[in-house]
Amino acid sequence: MKIWSTEHVFSYPWETVIKAAMRKYPNPMNPSVVGVDVLDRNLDPEGRLHSHRLLSTEWGLPGIVRAIMGTSHTRTYVKEHSIVDPEEKTMELCSTNITLTNLVSVDERLVYRPHPDNPDVTVLTQEAIITVKGVSLSSYLEGMMALRMSANARKSAGRTPRTVEHRQTTSSGNIGN
Amino acid sequence: MLFGQSDHMNSVGEGCTDLKREYDQCFNRWFAEKFLKGDRSGDPCTEMFKKYQHCVQKAIKEKDIPIDGVEFMGPNKDKP
Repeated sequence: MKIWSTEHVFSYPWETVIKAAMRKYPNPMNPSVVGVDVLDRNLDPEGRLHSHRLLSTEWGLPGIVRAIMGTSHTRTYVKEHSIVDPEEKTMELCSTNITLTNLVSVDERLVYRPHPDNPDVTVLTQEAIITVKGVSLSSYLEGMMALRMSANARKSAGRTPRTVEHRQTTSSGNIGN
Repeated sequence: MLFGQSDHMNSVGEGCTDLKREYDQCFNRWFAEKFLKGDRSGDPCTEMFKKYQHCVQKAIKEKDIPIDGVEFMGPNKDKP
């Protein structure tokens, strides 16, 4: 099991960032998400918006790996549950893979909140728990996955509001493992 | 200021993409102009959503995507 987390700061108010985050895909910097569908949407008694989405992704695997796995196995699916609380100003997204579950489990949690010291700035906290099934490959694969997730998160934080400029402040830093 | 455009994304069901984009546009407008501004008036996109859903659920069955229905673990629940 590998736990990885990072924090990113956007120099825009929370409403702006989450409008972009809700419409995040596609983005030319992340071609791996090829499909997004909303499966359910509802308001809870507290007025928070719940969305359940299905994401389909295409792994950017090297040719030889695709040849071994078979190209039909490169399409993976992720289910995502998000909650937007317009009063508390939080948006939380939790996702987990629903294919390749016999090999790996990737649980991700993202939370967007206004910066405690500056309401015109938004903080995104991202964490992932990656569990690789099977003993012999686990440490190596976990390390590779964590590196990839870390790289994707840095790109993702830049993608989320696609043309919204952001600044990664030196004080926010990355909390890596 | 431009945002990313999920209404240009594809649906998992190839034939559902047009319905999806129509719904997405309706939702994004309601989300930005009503929901985030505290307007609790009804969601105008329900009919569009039903049509879109009907198409997507069919595609999910055909492709055997292991959805397990819409209820699944939330942010505070443990994985079964």
